[in-house]
Formats: sequence, structure tokens, C-alpha cells
Amino acid sequence: MKELEPSTNEREFVLAALRDGARIDGRNFYDFRTLRLSFGADYGAVEVQLGNTRVLAKVSCEVIRPFPDKPTEGFLMFNTELSPMASPAFEVGRQTDEEVLVSRLIEKAMKRSRALDTEGLCIVAGEKVWSIRVDIHFLDHDGNLVDAACIAAITALQHFRRPDVTVVGEDVTIHTLEQRNPVPLSIHHIPICVTFAFFDNGNHVIVDPTHLEEQIKEGDMTITLNVHKEVCALSKAGGIPMELDQIIQCSKIAVIKVAEITAQIEAALAADAKKR
Amino acid sequence: MSRLDRTRTSAHQLRPFFSSQNLLNRSDGSAQFDFGGSSVLCSVVGPAEVKLRDEKLDKATIEVVARPLVGLPGVKDKALEQNIRESLEPLILSGLHPRTMLQIVIQTMKDDGCILSTAFNAVILALLDAGIPLKSILGSVTCMIDAQSSEILLDPTTEELSRARSTHVFVFDNKSSVQSEQGKMNVDTDDQEAGTSSLAAVLFSDSTGMFTEQEYFECAHFCFKASQAVHGFIRTAVQKKLEKEYQQTQA
Repeated sequence: MKELEPSTNEREFVLAALRDGARIDGRNFYDFRTLRLSFGADYGAVEVQLGNTRVLAKVSCEVIRPFPDKPTEGFLMFNTELSPMASPAFEVGRQTDEEVLVSRLIEKAMKRSRALDTEGLCIVAGEKVWSIRVDIHFLDHDGNLVDAACIAAITALQHFRRPDVTVVGEDVTIHTLEQRNPVPLSIHHIPICVTFAFFDNGNHVIVDPTHLEEQIKEGDMTITLNVHKEVCALSKAGGIPMELDQIIQCSKIAVIKVAEITAQIEAALAADAKKR
Repeated sequence: MSRLDRTRTSAHQLRPFFSSQNLLNRSDGSAQFDFGGSSVLCSVVGPAEVKLRDEKLDKATIEVVARPLVGLPGVKDKALEQNIRESLEPLILSGLHPRTMLQIVIQTMKDDGCILSTAFNAVILALLDAGIPLKSILGSVTCMIDAQSSEILLDPTTEELSRARSTHVFVFDNKSSVQSEQGKMNVDTDDQEAGTSSLAAVLFSDSTGMFTEQEYFECAHFCFKASQAVHGFIRTAVQKKLEKEYQQTQA
């Protein structure tokens, strides 16, 4: 099903509001929507709500044989298929450009930034390693899927516990969750994506665009940072050209947002750990 | 006998139901249905634009998409899609919306057994939420026969299912349950077990494993009785939702 373009009236209204320094949902330009995290009964299941955007992340693991050239490296895989549940515009079995972009961004932010210690997933070098799989399900699309998915994925990875293993000589025993306490994954740092949208030749910069704002925007940029102010990924695929100063300005905003979101994730994880 | 999940005391007890409707914004109707630790989210879009090759001149095309919790959709999910589509086709008054599409997306949120039943119940709630015209509603319950004790357990968990000799999924519509009450059939008499359940209109029945004919009818009977509770629950859920909507329009 084709996506309906916003009407000229709608477009003009949003732009006029931005020129007056307001957003249609009442947020300030640099505000995120309310972030809600809820955890499932088992480890590694997290549902993230960013305003009306909803993402479910589920982490699972299995033991597989590593690549011969990297005998001690475990695997980290992401599955980010957009289902028609999120928006009727997504079709089954046909990837849209948007979907490819979202998947690549998440992969870049999480995998290539080496957030997860894949060497720590080795059980027996060259024989057995853990393969960690993160399934990201998009349930409701109201803009900014990347940030929501990124928060969901990293929170799920932190929440996840893999079964404990003991290696005696050649024998590998995988203990069930009842036999031994499962172990958390070792995570180096927590990358968080912050997406900006630009309007009016970059005169107006907003954080966390909604679906309507995404349809009207002239360009966007996603900065992935961790709490140590390290840039993990920066993606600006097309859109209007930007001044260098503006990018620096954006990264300064992102630093603050990342600190806020990281603190919220940690608080949510701590509250959940207390309940278990 | 107490159950393996320790929260239930009887073999015929169902896990607590939970449902919420209208939680998604981009779809026309949506619902989540839980059987204890199993949860399915379902969204419905329709009547909507249909692809030319799927277009049916006299009725709506029903498309069901099932997505697993872990991994890519496989044979199991295709089977679930087909089961649900074929059971719903006679229920949905698709003749009212010819040359359109009705898309149903099913997403497993938590898996602790009985996903097919949970999905059926979620789908019907989502269809009601989307305001799709229906002939009747349905209610689904799963049961299993224990390999050792040959006891019939309703709404089993994954742990219990690993000890099953056979599993049975039943879907009943709510029209037949009304009929059997009017026909003064006593649902509670044990010696009329087979007779009562055969009266109920079974919309869908799927059994795997080894079982006798008598066991099958016993399962059908217990699931039919349990499905009454599901029907009641769906009715209350819809009633509450409508009351709330009515109050909002009045305010």
C-alpha cells in the first residue's frame, strides 16, 4: 500500500510552526518523546516505546562453529525486517530503501562500533562459539525507527543472560538456567543513536522527528555516541548540505541526549534486576 | 493434580487471560492477547487497496502475515498463516467489501506454548477493534494428553508440552454455544461428553501425536467448555472498550 503524502496544508502548518519555534506535538526542538522501556518475563526481551513508535527487541543465542580465519570470534547478528504491522506501507518480502537504510544504520551503530565483546563469546577456539542474535520487531511506526531500535537492541543485549558453560578438556557442558545462574554478556560501551531532521535549508534543526516531520524534512543525520563522548557512527545520507558548525552543534546536543538516555536505560535495568 | 507451572491447581484450569485493544496507531485495529506467559500482538488494516493480481471481484482478499519472535518466518509461520486465514474466511463478511484487501499481521511477543490459540484469540479481538463485519466471534483453546498419566491438560505451557503424547487445538464459534444452550443440552453432564461437543461448531481443529477416538472427543469437550470462558472474556473486553469509548464521546 502506498504511503499518503501529507497535504500541502499540513506541510505548511508544520513548517509555519517550526518557524515560530514550536513543534506540533508541543515539544521543544531538542526534546525526545517520552521513552518507556518494559521487560519481558525472560531475559533479553525489551519493548521500547518512543512516543507512538514501538519496537520489540528479543535476544537469543546458540552455539555454532566459528569461521576458520577467526577461530575465537563469536557472532552478533541483527534481524531488522520491517513488518506491515508497523505501517501498511511496508510490504512483506520486498525491502524498501528506508528499510535497507535502517538496517545498515543499526548494524553500523551496534556491530561495527564493537559494543559487544565478541571474543568473550568463544567457548572452544576453532570449535564452538556463541552466536548472539538480536531480532528487532517494529510494531508501530511514528518516526525515528533508528533511535528506538538502537535503544531496544542495546537494552536487550544488556538485559540478556546466556547459559553458563564449563569446559573440561574436550567436553563442553551447557548448563540450563535452572542448574546455574546464567551469565550476562560483556558489553564494552553503550552506543545510542540520536537522529536530527533539518528544515528550511538547515535553519531549523529538530531531534527525534515524528513520522509527519520525517515526511516533510529536507534532510536528516544520525549521530551515534556513547556516554564517554566517543562518536561510534555518523550518518548523513543525502538531504540538504550542512555547515560544519551545524554538525558540531548537533553533536553537542547529542552528547547531552545520550547521557540522558543512558541514565534512563540504566535505571530501567536496575529496577528490573531488583524485581527478579 | 497440581500443574508443572505451579500457579494452577487443576488440569482443566486455563492461565489468566489478558487483552488490550487499540494499542497501535498506524493500523486500523489492533489487539494483544495473553494466555499467561504467551502473548500475541495482532494488527488489522482494511478495507484497503488490493494488488491487482490478488483482487477478487465478489469479496475482500484476506491476507495473513505471521512473524515469529526469533528468526525469519519459516514453514511453521506459513502454516499458522494458512490455518488462520482459512478459519477466518467463513467468519468475515468479506462480500461487503469487494475488491479490497484485509491485511492481518500476527506478531508473537512471548512464547510459552499454545501460540496458535493465542493468535486466534488476538486476531478476533483485532478484527473487532477494526470494526470488520463478522458472522460470529471465535474462541480458541489448546489441550494436550500427558504421555505418562494420559491426563488431559488444558492450556499447557512449553514445559508441559514437552511431555505431551498428543496436542489438540480447537476453535469454536460463539453461535453454536448459544444454540446448544437453547437446545437445552446440558454441557456439564459427564456422560454426554461426546454428544455435547459434537453439537458445537468446530471452526478449526488440529491434532498432533497419538490418541484414540474417545480421547479426541474428550479433548473437544473440555476445550469447548473452556472456550466458553474465552468467549465470555472477549465479550467483556469488547463491552468495556465500547463503554469507555462511549464515555469519551459524552465527555
